Amino acid sequence: MAEERLKGIERSAEEIVESFVRAVETLPALEETYYSHELYNIMRPDGKPSSSRERADFRKRFVSNMPGADEDGNLRVEVARWTR
Amino acid sequence: MRMLIGFEVHQQMATERKLYCDCPTNYQDVPPNTNVCPICTGMPGSKPMPPNEQAVNAAIEIALMLGCEIIVDKSIYIQRKHYDYPDLPSGYQRTSLPIGLNGELQGVRIREVHIEEDPGQYDPTAGTVDFNRSGVPLVEIVTEPDMHSPEEARKFLRQLVRVLEYSGRVRPEAGGAMRTDTNISLEGGGRVEVKNINSVKGAYRAIKFELMRQKAKLDRGESVTRETRAFLESQKITVPMRVKELEEDYRYIPDPDIFPLVIDSARVESISAEMFEAPHLRERRLVEQYGIDPAAASVMVSERELADFFEAVAKEIDPKLAATWFRTKLKKVLNYMKLSAADVNFTPNQIVSLLRMVDKGEITPEQGELILRELFKHPSDPRKLSRKLGLKRLKPAELRAAIAKVIRANPRAVKDYRAGKEEALNFLAGKVMGLTRGRADPREIVKLLSAKIMGRK
Amino acid sequence: MDEVTRAKLKAIKSRKLSPVENVQQAQERIAKLNKKINAFIELNPDALAQAEALERKIKRGGKTGKLAGLTIGIKSNINVKGLRVTCASRTLEDYVSTHDAEVIKRIRAADGIIVGMNNMDEFACGSSGETSAFGQTDNPAAPGHIPGGSSSGPAAAIASGMCDLCLGSDTGGSIRNPASHCGVIGVKPTYGLVPRQGLIDLAMSLDQIGPFSPDVYGAALLLEGIAGRNPNECVTLDVEKISYIDKLDAGIKGMRIGTSPKFRELTDPKVMSVIDGAIGKLRDLGAEVVEVELPHLEKGLPAYYLIMSVEFFSATRKFDGRKYGKRIEDVCGDEVLRRILRGRYISRKEYRGKYYQRALQVRTLIREELMAALDKVDVIVGPTVPKLPHKMGEKISVSAMYVYDYLTIPTNLAGICGGVIKAGEVGGIPVGLQVQGKALDEGEVLRTLRAFEAIL
Repeated sequence: MAEERLKGIERSAEEIVESFVRAVETLPALEETYYSHELYNIMRPDGKPSSSRERADFRKRFVSNMPGADEDGNLRVEVARWTR
Repeated sequence: MRMLIGFEVHQQMATERKLYCDCPTNYQDVPPNTNVCPICTGMPGSKPMPPNEQAVNAAIEIALMLGCEIIVDKSIYIQRKHYDYPDLPSGYQRTSLPIGLNGELQGVRIREVHIEEDPGQYDPTAGTVDFNRSGVPLVEIVTEPDMHSPEEARKFLRQLVRVLEYSGRVRPEAGGAMRTDTNISLEGGGRVEVKNINSVKGAYRAIKFELMRQKAKLDRGESVTRETRAFLESQKITVPMRVKELEEDYRYIPDPDIFPLVIDSARVESISAEMFEAPHLRERRLVEQYGIDPAAASVMVSERELADFFEAVAKEIDPKLAATWFRTKLKKVLNYMKLSAADVNFTPNQIVSLLRMVDKGEITPEQGELILRELFKHPSDPRKLSRKLGLKRLKPAELRAAIAKVIRANPRAVKDYRAGKEEALNFLAGKVMGLTRGRADPREIVKLLSAKIMGRK
Repeated sequence: MDEVTRAKLKAIKSRKLSPVENVQQAQERIAKLNKKINAFIELNPDALAQAEALERKIKRGGKTGKLAGLTIGIKSNINVKGLRVTCASRTLEDYVSTHDAEVIKRIRAADGIIVGMNNMDEFACGSSGETSAFGQTDNPAAPGHIPGGSSSGPAAAIASGMCDLCLGSDTGGSIRNPASHCGVIGVKPTYGLVPRQGLIDLAMSLDQIGPFSPDVYGAALLLEGIAGRNPNECVTLDVEKISYIDKLDAGIKGMRIGTSPKFRELTDPKVMSVIDGAIGKLRDLGAEVVEVELPHLEKGLPAYYLIMSVEFFSATRKFDGRKYGKRIEDVCGDEVLRRILRGRYISRKEYRGKYYQRALQVRTLIREELMAALDKVDVIVGPTVPKLPHKMGEKISVSAMYVYDYLTIPTNLAGICGGVIKAGEVGGIPVGLQVQGKALDEGEVLRTLRAFEAIL
């Protein structure tokens, strides 16, 4: 059932891709627009890092959302198969 | 069989803040998941801050040191490189297009240099992730496969590490500040990428193992397939990493949340003007400019501060004398006291004074070394130190008197020496040294002793 | 309807209505109506406490912000610290937000009171309000019909008077579409005007957060409160505080408004006739109506779906279930999965030029056409959606669903602004007039909406 659903969704996903190709066949090849507005070199100077107080609040909330943590506060995830 | 080795070196840059957020970068000094915020943990809705300018400048500087052409006046996009791995909080890594291209170091071509963010630390055996390191700025240096043996590769990596340290822009090499993905192939076989290498030694071992493993396969008539393997430090072997864990197609797109970087030539010029000279270039220049021999120059540039010191001294006194002294005595004392050249408190002028005293024969080289050691502890005028240590060189008459005294007191040894036992001479010389408290040149002692003993009947 | 927000603010300022009372009224109304309408999926337990704190500040004579005491609903894809920000999906049903989005910080600073998280289409992937994992939202203005999407909850909340103002998000029409179907005011700001820090992405290069309101004044006020440069983000425009309220009532005499024959081509005649009537009214107010060409307008739709799918695929890679929530592909609905799979397919190395880059080229074409049209006129007006909202439960095909977006997508592709106001009804179902302006011309758009509102 899950396989069927997946196949069905994949097919319907591709429909608009195909209609896209048809729709744009005759359109000119212009330059791609990646960004709505062109601004460059927005950078940030290095300097004093954020205060540990604000991060402490975030850390508490972050850890409470974790599905699993060890006693040191590391996030628990899967063990890598290639280590076995 | 011809071996092709290439590296993708990842080195952390020395900044206070991470690349896309303001979290501190001292990930080793704090408990797990402390230097974190919504950005470097990939929380839903988080957006990168503008890139850390210091990191960008540091990457430009490193690329210049490696002789690269910097990409100027063109958009350098920050791309999203997508793959699924526990240490990658957003499921993609932000990595820039090249900042520098076509460099060279020690005969190995540098294909490109770019910046990217460090993922978190994943312990694959324990199954845990610490995001303290996530987002720390990295410079990635990609070489062409121009190395052909484990030794060549090691030599190159050592030189590369030195160049990076010289720049002063990288975190000191402490437990993973440098990581190297290594590509190895034997002609006739597929290219194998080895990951999880954290040191120069590790790279050397990994390459040696791969050489053995691949050669054995080819000898058996099997082909070496292209794959990704992991280096296991403790066992000094490489093992296959499941391909599924690292998808080939990264589906790169320019990150819509970050505008491209554009480097103008003014920035490159100002960085170029202020940066330290690269060690391999400085080595060449020292030989040319000061006429010292290449081996000495190589020692000189082993530390940037040592070379600085040398040049300050070589301006005032014979460079060859200075080079010999630096290479033998100074380096010896530094190693013995486990110090680096950056730790010395005495001035170049004080060394110049000292060397002049030796050169003029006011003190022996050995006495000079004693003063040098003293200089480390109490930096001051060498003449003062010489007086303090009572090291004025013996007058010739005093020396002859001391020699006569020792000969009189040790007839047995004198007889032995006359009979052909060389070590008796050393014994007698030692006695003279003791008597004169090191104020005479040992070579001269030996010469005079020998002459006196053999001359006498 | 047009003075609701102004009147509310006045009442609070003159202490005729206290913030606590205002919050209580909102909560009572929500309790009464939400079961049927389902505009809210999470309520803020601290709302009353925040109102009490504000009241104490007012009693002390302390300075209060522009939104003081107003009750505000937030679409469930905008991070509000401490509340569950679910994007109406099982993926994040237990995700308690760890930080405030920048716009939330600004609302708090202006003393607005957040009463809860609004329902939406799952991960903003929809135009109907039917795909939420927490149940569909009803259209209070046309019960039994879809409210539109993906900001279905915010639109329905305003239409049923559950709160004073709402925030939604718009990627291809997700504010304007439900505003039109529900007969309320909705504005999509210029891309980059409002910070996106804390907005859970649908498509990074297209998303914008914008206001819902019963009246133009309220929309202008809320927009003023949230707009402006965020130095902690790369992609916000270098715009410091602007005022929209000042020139809101300037009228549109002498304004040049454009309309395109393409709109008629793509739109249901019953809807179009309401729009024609509205345009006639604008002409009566002194505007000059000019025809503009938008020859490739409809090509925007497939291009949009390709670009958005690639960006959404990228945006959802973080939902791997390791740090929070669940792995998205394991629990999401059909349309979300459809977009992820499509994005995954199109972004393959070998297809980049054929699909993704080509779509970005079409984006340039649409952009240039709209910019050229807006060179000739001050604003472009027309229908918001090409057809009336269907009945809830009616099965329509995926492509029929996408059709709703034809007229709103180009605004996002070009990064310009657009706002919607109710122009009339067809059989009791609201029809919205869309007004589009150049980048950073929110003032013109709001002025036009206000002028129209004043004569209703």
